Amino acid sequence: MSPEDRRREVKEAAIVPPPPGSVADLFQEALPDVEFTATQGVLDVILIIGRDDAPPVLEAAKNHPKLAFDFLRNLSGVDYEDAGMEVVYHLFSYKHRHNVTVRAKMPADDLHIKTATGLWAAADWHEREAAEMFGITFDGHPNPVPLLLPEDMLDHHPLRKDNPLAPLEVWQGTMLGPEMARAGYIPPGSGFEVQAEEEGEE
Amino acid sequence: MAVEHEFETIDLNVNIGPQHPATHGVFRMVMTIDGELVVDVVPHIGYLHRGAEKLSENLDYRQAIGIQDRTDYLGGFNCELCYVQAVEKLAGLTPPERAEYIRVILAEFNRITSHFMFLGAFGTDLGIFGTAFTYAFREREYIQDLFEEVSGDRMMYAYFRPGGLAWDVPDNFKDRVRWLTKQAMVGFGDLDKLLTDNEIFIARTRDIGKISAEDAIDYGMTGPMLRASGVKYDLRKDEPYSIYDRFDFDVPVGRHGDCYDRYLVRLEEVRQSVRIIEQAVEQMPDSGPFLPEKMPRALRPAPGEVYMRCENPRGEYGIYLIARGQTQPYRLRIRSACFCNLGALRKMTVGHYIADAVTILGSTDIVLGEVDR
Repeated sequence: MSPEDRRREVKEAAIVPPPPGSVADLFQEALPDVEFTATQGVLDVILIIGRDDAPPVLEAAKNHPKLAFDFLRNLSGVDYEDAGMEVVYHLFSYKHRHNVTVRAKMPADDLHIKTATGLWAAADWHEREAAEMFGITFDGHPNPVPLLLPEDMLDHHPLRKDNPLAPLEVWQGTMLGPEMARAGYIPPGSGFEVQAEEEGEE
Repeated sequence: MAVEHEFETIDLNVNIGPQHPATHGVFRMVMTIDGELVVDVVPHIGYLHRGAEKLSENLDYRQAIGIQDRTDYLGGFNCELCYVQAVEKLAGLTPPERAEYIRVILAEFNRITSHFMFLGAFGTDLGIFGTAFTYAFREREYIQDLFEEVSGDRMMYAYFRPGGLAWDVPDNFKDRVRWLTKQAMVGFGDLDKLLTDNEIFIARTRDIGKISAEDAIDYGMTGPMLRASGVKYDLRKDEPYSIYDRFDFDVPVGRHGDCYDRYLVRLEEVRQSVRIIEQAVEQMPDSGPFLPEKMPRALRPAPGEVYMRCENPRGEYGIYLIARGQTQPYRLRIRSACFCNLGALRKMTVGHYIADAVTILGSTDIVLGEVDR
């Protein structure tokens, strides 16, 4: 295994069951029919669900009196390449002062999920950003137009893992020295990967 | 919103920005107006989008610190603090005591300079040309000198590191800080005297851009914007990070959720930040390390994810960091405070006069570098 491969080797986090009495138990109580994997993150409890379960879970998270997550902290897309994509919701409840992270998985060949704009107005801009950056379609979004990118930039989605940096940026990294080029991602076929391998690991 | 007229009128589209002094950066809003009343606002952002998230994914964990300064460039220390804490949480690093105190002092000074910037610029938005800016920038300049002496830069500091600091502070740091807290209160007093009871200022800001607590929460507004609407929520108090649980300070809350309350909340936050700094400089150890004894040469945090949130001058700044055992972040999402605050612009502006739209935009205190990332 070359040093570059070792640097880019992917490892997955282990599933740690959250302690009893956590938010995950409240979700299980509110939604007995929905299957989800709960894991204890560094700060919050993380629920991993399928894309089709996302609408009932988010609906309950907002409206169930014991959950009452009225604040959508953050919404982001994550590209796991062959394993599909995820839309991650970070929620907080001002009433009960508890947090939860909901990760909704979807297959790479069918990037559709129902919009959360009906539950939180904050989801509007976040979803527009995730849609343009990852190519995820949020079904039922009231205004699905690009937000940060130009209106005509529809052919590629910058934050996908298969969308490399521009050759200019790779070149700039090389100009700043081999250290900088090594730390950055070097697209295969650009001619720079040979140089990085030769230097090896210190 | 329909307005009754005796004569027939047509709605007019007015384009403000991207290059316009009232938009505080490259921001464009297209307003539909009926006479002088604003009927609709469509904000256009993205002129300063530099792909901070994509760039961070292609950089080493330490190299990505520099990108944090360039998101919210008026609160660089606060953004760095959030990022390095996210990395520390995953890498299992604990910064030494002295480094924690220095970080808090610098982050609170950065909050003061950012709020001074708001107070000066907000005064200019309302036509108090020069005076507010001069008062605010006099004190701000003294604090910038400290930042320059500590980090070597006035704006893009890149001074915090996962685990501590890049290097130690100068020898006279404590004396400088004590002098600066007094100086910051001079600026606070001057601005308070100039603006708080100013009749024109109150007439221009009272009951303008009102938003209720429920709407503010629904739109994901945070920071002084949320607290002006009456929600007492401050991450430093409610989810204490770093060493904020050691200090005694108050969280100012408004009642009406209008532009005047947002001004008052920010003004009072300057005083509370000074209180925190005064306590921190007394508790801070005189000497000690600024990095943990055992620092790995290559940072490779364990696989996992964390959503670290910090109370920035503009609200909740969040770093969603996913590590998968590599030397680079697998995914780094920046939750920007003013991005969410700006999302409620339409809700706040519709129904007001076109001159008040400038006031409302000024009161959101946006930094376009953070909105567009």
